Amino acid sequence: MSVETINISYCTFTLGDLHLGVPVTEIQEVIRAQVRTRVPLVSSVINGLINLRGELVTTVDLRARFGLPPIAAGTESMNVVVRRDDGAVSILVDEIRDVLDVAAADFEPVPSIFSGPCRDLMTGIYKLDGSLLLVLDIDKLLDVPAVHRDEVHS
Amino acid sequence: MDDNELDEVVNEFIVESHENLDDLDRALVLLEHDNDPNVVARIFRTIHTIKGTSGFLGFSTLESVSHVGENLLSKLRDRELMISTEITSGLLAMVDAIREILQTVSTSGDEAGLAYPALVERLTELAVAPTAGVEPEAAPAPATFTPLTEIAETTPDVGEVPKPQGEDRPPASETLRVDVSLLDDLMNLVGELVLARNQILQFVQPQGDPAFNATSQRLNLITTELQAGVMKTRMQPIENVWNKFPRVVRDLTINCGKQARLEMEGKHTELDKTLLEAIKDPLTHLVRNAVDHGLESPANRLASGKSTEGLVRLSAYHEGGQVIVEISDDGAGIDADKLRRKAIQKGLLTSEEAHSRSDREMLNVIFLPGFSTAEAVSNISGRGVGMDVVRTNIEGIGGSVEVQTVLGAGTTFRVKIPLTLAIVPALVVSVGQDRYAIPQVSLIELVRLDAHQSPEGATVIGGIEWVQGLPVHRLRGQLLPLVFLRDVFENDLYDGVIDSEPRESFNIVVVQADDHQFGLVVDDISDTAEIVVKPLGRLLKSADTFAGATIMGDGRVALILDVMGIANRIGITTSERRGSRAATGVDVTDVSGTWRRLLLFSLGDRHLGLPLEAVARLEEFSPADIEMSGHRAVVQYRGEIMHLIDLGDELGMPSSRVEGQPMQVVVYTDANSSVGLVVDQIFDIVEEHLDVTETADSHGIAGTAVIHGQVTDVIAVKQILRSAVPAIFATASEVAA
Amino acid sequence: MKILIVDDSRTMRLVLRRMLAQLGHDDVVEAAHGGEGLERMTDDLPELALVDWNMPVMGGLDFIKAVREQRAYDRVKLMIVTSESSPRIVYEALKAGADEYAMKPITGDIMDDKMQLLGLS
Repeated sequence: MSVETINISYCTFTLGDLHLGVPVTEIQEVIRAQVRTRVPLVSSVINGLINLRGELVTTVDLRARFGLPPIAAGTESMNVVVRRDDGAVSILVDEIRDVLDVAAADFEPVPSIFSGPCRDLMTGIYKLDGSLLLVLDIDKLLDVPAVHRDEVHS
Repeated sequence: MDDNELDEVVNEFIVESHENLDDLDRALVLLEHDNDPNVVARIFRTIHTIKGTSGFLGFSTLESVSHVGENLLSKLRDRELMISTEITSGLLAMVDAIREILQTVSTSGDEAGLAYPALVERLTELAVAPTAGVEPEAAPAPATFTPLTEIAETTPDVGEVPKPQGEDRPPASETLRVDVSLLDDLMNLVGELVLARNQILQFVQPQGDPAFNATSQRLNLITTELQAGVMKTRMQPIENVWNKFPRVVRDLTINCGKQARLEMEGKHTELDKTLLEAIKDPLTHLVRNAVDHGLESPANRLASGKSTEGLVRLSAYHEGGQVIVEISDDGAGIDADKLRRKAIQKGLLTSEEAHSRSDREMLNVIFLPGFSTAEAVSNISGRGVGMDVVRTNIEGIGGSVEVQTVLGAGTTFRVKIPLTLAIVPALVVSVGQDRYAIPQVSLIELVRLDAHQSPEGATVIGGIEWVQGLPVHRLRGQLLPLVFLRDVFENDLYDGVIDSEPRESFNIVVVQADDHQFGLVVDDISDTAEIVVKPLGRLLKSADTFAGATIMGDGRVALILDVMGIANRIGITTSERRGSRAATGVDVTDVSGTWRRLLLFSLGDRHLGLPLEAVARLEEFSPADIEMSGHRAVVQYRGEIMHLIDLGDELGMPSSRVEGQPMQVVVYTDANSSVGLVVDQIFDIVEEHLDVTETADSHGIAGTAVIHGQVTDVIAVKQILRSAVPAIFATASEVAA
Repeated sequence: MKILIVDDSRTMRLVLRRMLAQLGHDDVVEAAHGGEGLERMTDDLPELALVDWNMPVMGGLDFIKAVREQRAYDRVKLMIVTSESSPRIVYEALKAGADEYAMKPITGDIMDDKMQLLGLS
């Protein structure tokens, strides 16, 4: 099989204007907003804890991770639950979009127009018709500093 | 049958099949070693039952997979075929497939399109392939793996056949299957009973009513026995976890070309079901680790004068109120010098640190995060789970793990597990909308405080006195320092707002941290509960004010407070603690004469300090982020517009900031507004006993102190804010106070 | 009418118990293998026993033989309920003294028919 014909499936979703994707193989499930318990005194990127069928799952606010303002009041985030070696972690995104099959050969490095957290949190991009699909780097995403550099609590 | 009955049958089927399959892994590995007709018959029966029932329940994929498996097994049973590594692997693959189907059925209710054409073909081929066939006694034993020796259990015979399950279990008519949730409920009720018993015992007096005293004692004894009895219903033998290991070791030895013998001792040692679940993965990892990293290759073993077959030994026993589980190997041991090199290479220790540690101390680096990743963990040895996760998980249930090694002779991991469960009695309290659990062990007593509303609308709590600006409660003549839990978490969650609704009372939970007692002030005390402590995930490792979390009866998650962590955080164990903000009404700029934590920064060549209580966050903004609103600089911050105040301008101090460079901003948050104070450079946070010289004539400066030999101006935040942005802060601070 | 179910599968015992309940038979006792079945025979003296073929400790065939050795149980009807379909097994079961034979998966209707054949409904 030639490189050109290998397709990768991505679960895609939006975050503000961004169209983001994670390989479906990383995804455990996608669920609606859940009752969440806030965790004080940790990075604001950690959105809280949810009970997923008896398992404690930490939720990560992708907007905060990207430095974006919180989602508009009254709008529900979606939980994209990714399976990690030490348990599931949920990533809060705006809206779930289609699962896209894209040719692996079309994968490109992150263009230099991206900067800041955005750039660091992506492994690369795909140019689709009229839009860009940004592929999230889950490991980096979840590498949240103990207490965010920019936060000090009294 | 109606739907409910069918569901019940399907559930029973799944539970029963899983139980039988767990036994099967072990039996199959045993079979590979010794073609015992009893074991074949047992395996056959299990698969036969699954096939029959799945046909009945209409699970056709499961039926077809188990059917070909049954076929193959019947030929083994009738000695038409001899067992071989290929057949064992095929049957193990079948067991995996059956597990997968059962799992799917239990989550989605049907087989959801699962299909195993390749497996079915493989098993069919194995059933027709003419392997040996005619030498019933001389089965070709696989070279790699001797299943298990059970020491001091049933008989000392090597490879002793486990009894058929029917024999060592009570007859069906004498056992009941009980939902675990029912046992949990019982456990909770017993917890309640224990609390009530404790209260009643307080009324017992030596000179009191003898009848009452005798009855109380009787209640005491019965309660204790009942508690022990209910705990016992949750106990399961560690065998339930170990059963999987012969298979694990078998697969590993084949994959990495080693030879291993697995010995187990003390498999009947019982543990609480919850603890057993929690140690399953860590133990599996340690067993894999023993084979993969502990044991040498057969060639290397020969070269060092050992037999080619390595030994992995599991033992479990009680010791001093704990259960000890040991996982040892007779491999090469861990070379401390190698660890030193690796730790230095990975940047976990400096060369000096590494060499100043003893060999024994060095061993512990294997538990550091980032040590046993990538190269150390081969694709075999697990899913990238490092030893740090093993330790975290074991510590999560209140256990510990230690390692001992003798170079050339082997390594032993010793896991200590508390007998007294990860289920602890706790007090559930609430602050605003949030509930927290406080483990009973930290509790001393509860005190209730009445509150009323002042004419200005502020909440005034009775029974609180102020000593040097710190809230205390006089409890039986002793001054008890108070900590408002709301304050501890305030910056994050409560934003300085006392409460949306006026309250009539507050509660003090008197707790003990080391030698210090203090009172945690909470809104409400809702309940006592037996809670199951679940460890926080890796992302929340740094949350040292929490001991874990638990899932409450209503399905919500509640955080478990770590009283020691809270005491450390607010400095109650170190010195006189800092003042608390909103609830105390102490102006944070009133700094003189107390221990204070200060944020140190510079403006030009001046050193300044700011009480840390005034700091919500530290931010960095690039000049491109700054917009102008009228004459004022503003930034978009957390979905809102935040004013920026150039502290240099406000204080009349020249700034050495370079145009176009990112700006350092201290975010101050009051009742409902945030404002950013632009400074030059942020240095440090110090805790100092301030000896402030008043310099009242200087605008915005509360006083001057000498910190680290530097003359440091401590700024009066509120004063600055009132004059800089009067529209926002002229009154807000009073409201907050 | 008291009925004994002898089956090592808890699931099958549950299925059969439900099925019998629908046919109006609530007086059911269970055993997980032939040995336990014999104890139930003594204690409960059922009129009908539904017996699985493949069981640990004591299989269906041995159970039937053991029951038929005792005159006291002459009136007890024995029905093999199993997914074994080989004629050899049917033959052995009937030879040993089984009265009826039913194949899993069995339905309520079949059970009803078989019980009528045995004159029990």
